[in-house]
Amino acid sequence: MADDGERGAQQAQGALARLSGVSKRYGQVQALDGLDLEVRTGELLAVLGPNGAGKSTAIALLLGLQRPDAGEVQLFGRSPHDLAARRGVGVMMQDVMLPDGLRVRELIAMTAAYYPAPLSVAEAIAQAGIEKLSDRPYAKLSGGQKRQAQFALAICGRPRLLFLDEPTTGLDVNARETLWATLRKLVADGTAIVLTTHYIEEAQALADRVVVMARGRRVAEGTVHEMRALVVRKRIECVTTLDVASIAAWPDVASAVANEAHRISIATTDAEAVVRRLLAADPTVSDLEVRRAGLSEAFAELTHEPAE
Amino acid sequence: MTPLAPWDVPQMSLARLLGAYLSDAKYESLRVLRTPAFSIPILAMPILFYTVFGALLNGRGGPALANQMFVGWTVYGVMGPGLFGFGILVAVERNMGLATFKRALPMPTGSYLAAKLMMAYVFAIVVMAMLVTAALTLGDITLDSLRLLRISAVMSLGVIPACAVGLFIGSWAPASSASAFANIVYLAMAFLSGLFFPLSGILEKIRPIWPTYHLAQLARASAGLPNDGSIGGHVAFLVVTSATLILLAARRLARAG
Repeated sequence: MADDGERGAQQAQGALARLSGVSKRYGQVQALDGLDLEVRTGELLAVLGPNGAGKSTAIALLLGLQRPDAGEVQLFGRSPHDLAARRGVGVMMQDVMLPDGLRVRELIAMTAAYYPAPLSVAEAIAQAGIEKLSDRPYAKLSGGQKRQAQFALAICGRPRLLFLDEPTTGLDVNARETLWATLRKLVADGTAIVLTTHYIEEAQALADRVVVMARGRRVAEGTVHEMRALVVRKRIECVTTLDVASIAAWPDVASAVANEAHRISIATTDAEAVVRRLLAADPTVSDLEVRRAGLSEAFAELTHEPAE
Repeated sequence: MTPLAPWDVPQMSLARLLGAYLSDAKYESLRVLRTPAFSIPILAMPILFYTVFGALLNGRGGPALANQMFVGWTVYGVMGPGLFGFGILVAVERNMGLATFKRALPMPTGSYLAAKLMMAYVFAIVVMAMLVTAALTLGDITLDSLRLLRISAVMSLGVIPACAVGLFIGSWAPASSASAFANIVYLAMAFLSGLFFPLSGILEKIRPIWPTYHLAQLARASAGLPNDGSIGGHVAFLVVTSATLILLAARRLARAG
């Protein structure tokens, strides 16, 4: 239990869950290296990062499945080992097999029984959009259907905070749309969600806030918009007679490559200056296009720069 | 509506807490019942073996042997659910991440093991009821209902050592070989403890290492049948063995998760 001082601090910042300076090592591998992370009331936080960045370890610590080597972990201002704290949490993990021989609605009933005021089995099934699966044995479901059933288990306890580790892996387009719609509804109703994902579009479509992790550290944090602005690099494409190698040598040009005959792609931190020089050097430039890097490019760039 | 503070978590009523334990026990029993790899050795084999070897093929043995055989097969029958339920399921669930998933959920403390214990009891009671029914209709037994009740009471205590042995296997054996270990231990406990036929030489001397030997002696004593050793000695052996195995299993589970 947190004392009143701690609670006051929590309230000021509205954090439902928090990792403070947390480190965790598995043998030779430093999975987390002084990570700070907080989940605020009612937000959808997307945690992005390449494999091995420490996303799943961070979630395992917040759920009390692992203990940190250093730093502090809080869930609702308590230790995550406190059963009372976990009653506010729903979870969808990556590698989990559920007992064979039970039907989907039975698994939901079994899981819902752990919570103080859960959804009814029928409500959980409707919210997850899996009416057709409810009477089927879990063992007979396809990979994507199992993920949908696991999502129903995650939401059946009416959690205040939902952890979803790569929830849409293996889902078809319709199932993913249904899940996204349900997530938006849950956030609108005040549920906070932590989502780890490889799919940039998923973060772009859903997240209020994005944390980018690499090598066990937080390398960037902000709204999707801020993330993209953080990476100032833009991409210029055009058809030109100029030599690619000489463009690559211009100031502010990070790279220049020829895509097809005469069509080149330039990465730059100062698009305006490069476009001006381009037009001056080759009045015949055509098909000019300038775009801001997408979140996926921003993400790739952020995780490749060494953390400070 | 007052917004919830970040540290507010819902409170669980006592009724719902008990409900969670019961629901876990119910679904644990249901899945075991629906998995032939468990339900056949646990439910079908004891009654089949007793009917064939204990009742039908016992024509010349007379009531004394019929009574001994009945006690032997009840020991065999009540050991199955605990041994297999804990021995195989704990090992498999450690391997498949289910135990981890359940630790992340607000599953009440101890419910994971309590559900398996209740499952073992439910199945032991069913097995016992089937054996008693078969004995009364097919067997040559001369045990009255009071003595049958006493044997059943002793057997209900026998579920615990069976679970302890199973838990020990489940916590140490790899998932891929837990089933083989459980079967070997089950057969050894049944046949090397003299449940069904007399042993001689070294096998007779080491009979007391098997919990089944002590359980059978207690059951025989409770029904006034010939038995060896002292009641206190048998009870002490079962209690100490069970406690030791559970302790070793708990240490292993705490370390390996």
